[in-house]
Amino acid sequence: MEQTLHHELLTRFDSKLNNVMRMYLDTCARCGVCIQSCHVYASMPELKYTAVYRAEVIRKLFKRYFKAQGRFWPSLGDSANLTDDMVDTIYQTAYSCTGCRRCMVHCPFGIDTQMIMSIAKLLLISAGREPKVLSMLADMSIAKGKSTTETRANFAKAVDQLRDEVLAQWRQAHGEKVVPLEAQDANILYVALAGKHSIVPAAAIMNAAGEEWSLSYYEAVNFGAFVGNAEKTRVIALRIIDEAVRLRVKEVSICECGTAYRVMRHMMGALPFKVTSFIEVIARYLREARIRLARGRIAGRVTYHDPCQLGRNGGVIEDPRFILSYLTDDFIELQPNRAENWCCGGGGGLVAIGEKDFRMRSARVKAEQIKAVSPDIVCTACENCHTQLSDLVGHYKINAGVRFLTDMVAESLQE
Amino acid sequence: MRFPTRGVLAVLDKIYYVIMVPMVYAAVSIFVIGVISRSIRIVLAPRQKTTLQIFPVKRPVWFHALVDTFLLPTVRTIRPVMWIFALIFHGALVLLVIGHLELIREIRALQAIPHQVFLGGGLVGLALTVSLLFFLFSRFKTPYREISVPEDYFILLLLMLTVLSGSHMDWAKYLSPAGFDIPVSGYREYLSSLFTLHPGVPAVIAGSPHYVLVALHILFANIFLLFFPFSKIMHTFFALPLNLIRRGGLRGANTAP
Repeated sequence: MEQTLHHELLTRFDSKLNNVMRMYLDTCARCGVCIQSCHVYASMPELKYTAVYRAEVIRKLFKRYFKAQGRFWPSLGDSANLTDDMVDTIYQTAYSCTGCRRCMVHCPFGIDTQMIMSIAKLLLISAGREPKVLSMLADMSIAKGKSTTETRANFAKAVDQLRDEVLAQWRQAHGEKVVPLEAQDANILYVALAGKHSIVPAAAIMNAAGEEWSLSYYEAVNFGAFVGNAEKTRVIALRIIDEAVRLRVKEVSICECGTAYRVMRHMMGALPFKVTSFIEVIARYLREARIRLARGRIAGRVTYHDPCQLGRNGGVIEDPRFILSYLTDDFIELQPNRAENWCCGGGGGLVAIGEKDFRMRSARVKAEQIKAVSPDIVCTACENCHTQLSDLVGHYKINAGVRFLTDMVAESLQE
Repeated sequence: MRFPTRGVLAVLDKIYYVIMVPMVYAAVSIFVIGVISRSIRIVLAPRQKTTLQIFPVKRPVWFHALVDTFLLPTVRTIRPVMWIFALIFHGALVLLVIGHLELIREIRALQAIPHQVFLGGGLVGLALTVSLLFFLFSRFKTPYREISVPEDYFILLLLMLTVLSGSHMDWAKYLSPAGFDIPVSGYREYLSSLFTLHPGVPAVIAGSPHYVLVALHILFANIFLLFFPFSKIMHTFFALPLNLIRRGGLRGANTAP
């Protein structure tokens, strides 16, 4: 490896060594409790797919370059040199991990493999070896934030075309604005994804609740987080934060996108507005009797997949179940569920990259988990999970549909 | 011809002294300085600004973090046999530390359970030995063999040697008809002399035929202390804060919903 690049990579590595990261890298006892935690290993039992192996790849570099033990007795900790081959290993390590943090639930020390993988992803970016599609998507999001004036009119026009579809789900729309844009002092700034499937049901629900809301100009998804670029993650999130501050909204509600929610809710520091998942908003409407749902309109047995970033990493765990209790009497839990739920296998940018063959093979355990409860509908609340689960039910020939929770709520709205 | 010769014995005696006195000071100093400097380095490192917690939140957070740290509930679920040995091992370690403190000075409160020095009558050493054997043999098995690094074996062997050499002195007291010829007062005199910075190896130890065993025990313990701050054994200090972080007890700028 070229000396300049070698130095650059180690400088980047050093920049990630905050207080918690140092403890994560110093602490692992290699007890192996995390081995069975990873859905990839549970589906394809190879050592390279264990949390401990992934963390050790980075830990061996840490020992070699940042610890006395690695300098004076490198073989003792099996320290590794940073070479081109090592960069290949780092790629394999980082992009076989979906960052679901199920291993962190089981680790007796609570070591966060996703955090350790953030070093791996940063090294790949610095070496120019990250999946280019993720960087490109992150750059596009940032570019959109810089040139809003040129595209804002087109966006408003496109949104206006959704009017009839929203009214089809809820006739008595609040006021004249079926999908309000640029609404100053609104209660909620709703941040959707690119695509009407993430706008229409939410608009119907908020209109049914008589909410004062506004649709964000920006899409929620944060490709900066997927590629592991902290700066781009921040810039992408800041577009929405600036918009919310400018409109003086009380609450920013993130659509069904686990990563976008976690970034905004837990990674952006203190904000001058409340951050919620739209699932929490629906649950609130139900508790306050602002919307009514027709139980039974959703036919068949329903199960719920906890998206990792929304559930164990985001804290939205019971609200989806509360909402489902209004929708169906035929609900069955996946086993395990909540904090222990298996990852769908599509996180960490894998869905965006493609990698369908790997995604299908590595999520066999997820498919078996779904098959075991024979659902008619697998309901979830995350775009990534929805895409992955849809691919999975097709690949493993599971006779079930995959639906967004918000969509099911909108379909069940009644006066 | 006699072997070893008197000259060799004199050299060995000096080596034993180095192990028993200067090396103990060096090991303890490096242990203390190492642990403190490693801790300071972590405290001075840039702060993690956002929460890394896992949900759902269980309150009180401190209580659950303590349970995670000392009762290892996830290990019980996933590797129940290892959990039993992990609890025995760590519990026995605590008793062992207490026992060594009693070797410095009698702790009257502990005599609520009447005992000779070292609670457990030799069972503590036995429990540690069996646990260490379990940990060692676990690492011979796939997939644990593949995730192990030389450091893991080094620590286990070092602990095994320390425990066996130390336990022998305890076990002989109970299990040998002849008993053990170094009385507790001998260890107290030795350890007190180290503490009061008037170091010396009392004649009751230096003149014992088991002096070599005592010296070996101290040697292994010294190496363990020297290695401690630079190894994964630092989890002794990091386990609780890391479990607190997972439970949301040490928060960054964001708070739990």
